[in-house]
Amino acid sequence: MTLQHYLVISAILFTLGIFAVLTRRNAISILMGIELILNSCNLNFAAFSRFMTPPEDISGQVIAIFGIVLAAAEAAVFLAIILAIYREFGSIRPNDVDTLKG
Amino acid sequence: MVVPLISLILLCPLAAFAIFGLLGLAKRSFPRQDYLSTAAMLVGFVCSLLLLREVVPNPETHTVKWISLGSITFSMGFYLDSVTAIMLLVVTLVSSLVHIFSIGYMHGDPRYPRFFAFLSLFSFSMLFLVVSDNLLGIYIGWELVGLCSYLLIGFWFEKDSAANACKKAFLTTRVGDVGMFIGMMMLFTKFKTLSLYGEGGIFTLAASLNTGDMVWLSIAGVLIFCGAVGKSAQVPLHTWLPDAMEGPTPVSALIHAATMVAAGVYLTARMFPILTETSSLVIAYIGGITAIVAATIAIVRFDIKRVLAYSTVSQLGYMMLGIGVGSYVAGLFHLTTHAFFKALLFLGSGSVIHAFHAMHAHAHDDEHDHAHEDHDTHEHAHGDDDAHGHDHEHGDHDLVHAHGSEIPPDQDMRNMGGLRHKMPITFVTMLIATLSISGVPFVFSGFWSKDAILGGVLERAMEWNSVHHYLLFGMALLAAGITAFYMFRLIFMTFFGEPRNQEMHNMAHESPLSMTVPLLILAVLSFPVVNKFWFNADYVKPPEQPHLYAPQHAHVSPDSKTEGKGFALSLFGVSEAVAAEEAGHDTHVDGEHHGHSPAHDIAMVLSICVAGLGILLSWLFYHRRTLSAESVANSFRPLYNLFWHKYYFDEFYDGVLVALTVWKARLFAQFDGSVVDGIVNGVGRLTRDFLAVFVGFFDNRVVDGIVNRVAEVTWAVGGRIRRIQTGAIQTYLFVVLAGIVLLILIFRAL
Repeated sequence: MTLQHYLVISAILFTLGIFAVLTRRNAISILMGIELILNSCNLNFAAFSRFMTPPEDISGQVIAIFGIVLAAAEAAVFLAIILAIYREFGSIRPNDVDTLKG
Repeated sequence: MVVPLISLILLCPLAAFAIFGLLGLAKRSFPRQDYLSTAAMLVGFVCSLLLLREVVPNPETHTVKWISLGSITFSMGFYLDSVTAIMLLVVTLVSSLVHIFSIGYMHGDPRYPRFFAFLSLFSFSMLFLVVSDNLLGIYIGWELVGLCSYLLIGFWFEKDSAANACKKAFLTTRVGDVGMFIGMMMLFTKFKTLSLYGEGGIFTLAASLNTGDMVWLSIAGVLIFCGAVGKSAQVPLHTWLPDAMEGPTPVSALIHAATMVAAGVYLTARMFPILTETSSLVIAYIGGITAIVAATIAIVRFDIKRVLAYSTVSQLGYMMLGIGVGSYVAGLFHLTTHAFFKALLFLGSGSVIHAFHAMHAHAHDDEHDHAHEDHDTHEHAHGDDDAHGHDHEHGDHDLVHAHGSEIPPDQDMRNMGGLRHKMPITFVTMLIATLSISGVPFVFSGFWSKDAILGGVLERAMEWNSVHHYLLFGMALLAAGITAFYMFRLIFMTFFGEPRNQEMHNMAHESPLSMTVPLLILAVLSFPVVNKFWFNADYVKPPEQPHLYAPQHAHVSPDSKTEGKGFALSLFGVSEAVAAEEAGHDTHVDGEHHGHSPAHDIAMVLSICVAGLGILLSWLFYHRRTLSAESVANSFRPLYNLFWHKYYFDEFYDGVLVALTVWKARLFAQFDGSVVDGIVNGVGRLTRDFLAVFVGFFDNRVVDGIVNRVAEVTWAVGGRIRRIQTGAIQTYLFVVLAGIVLLILIFRAL
């Protein structure tokens, strides 16, 4: 397994994430897309850390751990917001949430 | 030691005024402003005494830089020589005595504290003027004393006459001050400095001017002298001083007799080194004319204070004459002796007025008891003569009544008479002052100073063999005789003879102690006690006059001068005086000669003669009444009218200058109303009817049009751009992504 393999996997994950974020009509699905993007980044961090830096330097992998924790916290906040939106608008489709539109 | 002393002398009165002013801002007043001001003056007097010991013949200057403007620096500082020291002493002494006198005189006045505060401010200003070493400082002090004079003449501003008199004094002196300022500026443009002394001072620089500049220097000197003409009430600007008698009498004594009016003489003396023949002659003539004009007016006045006022004007003319003929020491010596005896005369007249005034005011009950006691012991001098019952002045003619009504009854000598028993201290002290001013020989100071001037004039006349100076000597001599005459007329009318107004006479009384003590002190000073300062050649050194040349250089050689004048003269130290005198203008060929020119002997004999003649005539007219003033007045009717109308100066000013000014003002008002207003209104109308239409059109169409177009364009563009904001979050995300991709592509391309 070389660095390229990891990067290819990461790119695929990122593209899938972007695709989900742009096309899905459901906020939960968008969140899932975001999670994919985040995880592709984490994978990149870990991969670069493993292949590009000396073995004793694990800062990239530590950043990946941070990223995972961050993603968990972000998902919690996101879901709480979606819950609040659902209560307010009766829908979780982002297109329905348009009261700020001029 | 010198600087702290001078500072203390200046700061004490200033502090006394400042306390009044600052407390005044807080709507309070110090409970005893009178004691505060008096104490400040006494401290100043003590310091002046100490300073007198510090003075050495070589003058000192202490200067600091005040304002720097580019290359020009104005400095401020003290100049201390023997003359300054003596002036400081005179001012602080007279001022202290006047303060003490005022405690009694002004008692019960509603603005009592303010009076003392003003006196303090005046004293400060006068002292500042005296010690200043540069023209700017002198000018500042000069204007400040003018202000104080204005405030104090108008102290009883409820009286219209006082309010008018203070305006008149201020405006008349202003005329002279303008001349003085022009003169200062002439010196300034030439020398680029206003400092008088030292290397870069005006006097040093002026000494090196060549003869081509003499006309210019004469004009500058005469212009500066103009200030002195105004302030020292010389002809033709003398008319304010008699009117200034509307102020309280202590003010007349301090400001309008002893100090402020003498400031003009002091200034002229300070300017001594830049005087040329022409300017000296102008000064001498103005002084001589003033001496005789004022003396003749004084003969016919009935207001006791006006007599003294004209006498002051006349004596100031004397001093100017002294300076003008180069008798520097004599002029300033007369200034000091005059300060003492004239202050005494004014305070004495104040005492008399107070005695009468108390009757009207009923405010001085404490002194009334005393007055009643005196009444019984008083006996009328019935044996005088048979004409005494009838006031010859009263029945004189209608002119007296026309003008006599202006005189307040308590100042009118026609209401007085026989007061010598009622007011013995006032009488004796005033008599001493009168003997002094009349030039009664040997034991009175006025004789010495007046004789020094007369001798100086005659000496200059003989030295230069100049007609001008012989003429001036004649004028001075005549004025001396007239002075003796009118002063004794005052004494005889006031203190001798029969009481003319029995009711007022009954109420008259001697003044309280605070008023008589200053009189007694001043009476002592009317004897020659200060002479030794002036007559010490090592002490007072007259400055040189580098631009004064005798016409023929016909000096009397020292050998031809007679030796000695008898022990009476050396007793009073006069011999050195004359030597000092001559050292001033004898070009220092030989510094050690001790003789006198015969001029001084001749002048002395003549002055004794005219003084005796004046007194004798006065006695015959007003005491013995063997001669009738009325019939003499009738036989010289035109001359009498001239004197009575004060040479028509006031009429001339009112009729010509004031009328001309008013006429001019009317003319300008008409010009203003028709032409200037017409132009302004025309322009206004043109603007409104014509220009405004155009401007309005432009505004509505062009300016508003641009603004509206801009708004419309903005509105339309905004309406379109608004569509971009879809509110669909995924659209935004897509745009973001597209942007990132675009950026990546761009940076790849780079």
